[in-house]
Amino acid sequence: MSPKPNLWQMLCSVLAAFFGVQSSHNLQRDFSSGHALTYFLLGAAVLVGFVAFVIFLITLALSLAGA
Amino acid sequence: MNCIAKGMLGAGSLLPLAVAADWQVNLEPGVTEISQAVFDLHMTIFWICVAIGVVVFGVMLWSIIHHRKSRGAKAHNFHESTVVEITWTIIPFFILIAMAVPATATLIKMYDKNGADLDIQVTGYQWKWRYQYLGEDIDFFSSLSTPKEQIQNQAEKGEHYLLEVDNPLVIPAGKKVRFLMTANDVIHSWWVPALAVKKDAIPGFINEAWTVVPEPGIYRGQCAELCGKDHGFMPIVVDVRSEADYQLWLAEMKQAKVQAADAATKDWTLAELMEKGEEVYNRACAACHQANGEGIPGAFPALKNSPMVVAADPAAHIDIVLNGKAGTAMQAFRDQLNAVELAAVITYERNAWGNTSGDLVSPAQISELKQ
Repeated sequence: MSPKPNLWQMLCSVLAAFFGVQSSHNLQRDFSSGHALTYFLLGAAVLVGFVAFVIFLITLALSLAGA
Repeated sequence: MNCIAKGMLGAGSLLPLAVAADWQVNLEPGVTEISQAVFDLHMTIFWICVAIGVVVFGVMLWSIIHHRKSRGAKAHNFHESTVVEITWTIIPFFILIAMAVPATATLIKMYDKNGADLDIQVTGYQWKWRYQYLGEDIDFFSSLSTPKEQIQNQAEKGEHYLLEVDNPLVIPAGKKVRFLMTANDVIHSWWVPALAVKKDAIPGFINEAWTVVPEPGIYRGQCAELCGKDHGFMPIVVDVRSEADYQLWLAEMKQAKVQAADAATKDWTLAELMEKGEEVYNRACAACHQANGEGIPGAFPALKNSPMVVAADPAAHIDIVLNGKAGTAMQAFRDQLNAVELAAVITYERNAWGNTSGDLVSPAQISELKQ
């Protein structure tokens, strides 16, 4: 049984899921020792952050374009 | 080598250069600043794709040849390589970002519709275009003018076969012209490649596009959205004129409108209306009801021997031509034709192809109904 992943490791796993590439070792660790609900909540938080970032980028681009 | 292969090679080597020169595959650079920007963007992305193709297929080909079984190559057996996977994800990501930067810059230019010198409403109909010059009181329809004989292979096809119209859209050179696109029946798409303008015309919606054409000239396009039976027969011709010539054209159009109104008050003979009516019928009605008035069974009704057309009272006939018929392909021609044209075409239908109503519908009668 792998040691329970810490918050940083879980965040890295969520980001890896967003990116689409994860190492087999971390995948095994997350599935054997992690808690699904924690990953769902972290994933939702990262998603909200990503959408906010995209909105910020669009606003910035439009303001630079003089719209 | 067999005879067929020899023949094909021979034909290929004899392909006239002139034919090859006319055969264009690539996007055309066009004549406006925007069309040039679109062309440059297209070529930039094309060459990026070529480079990717060369690298990817080059590595693949080299690997296939260099590591072939006959040379004793043994396959590596591994499950994953995080580094390789991240690399082949990151590289396309940056390539896409690099493509998005010039694409966004071009799109921003294309969507800048501010500061137009002239607004024209473009409405798609089955199967013609209507141009309304907002604020100028100019409104006309533009229909295919290629003779039927050419379409039916009874005459040699002209230089601008299926790309010629009776009334081209006339715009001034060097001025920003904004097009407000919509449609009357189904979705059409107004497309003129040389101007890099291609915009859907959708019933109930107004889409916008614009152009500034620096030099006078004739530019041709087509409907780019499958819109029914005669989708391929509703071309677009844009006649770009110098400012002075454009002003002259505006004055002529306004004068013609006054003359058309005067003509509606004149007394027309049956022969005059029949002559005019035949011309209008072939331009506006024959696509559906056919030149011989027999229609297309199951799709478009015959006018020859039609009870409505030969009835003693022309009211129902006039009503359907003016107002169309809901739920069918029969359009309302109230705005598409002037009073003389409407009177002429109705009179023609009532007296052509053996129809013998013998009556005459006068332009004055139509003018009254149009009000």
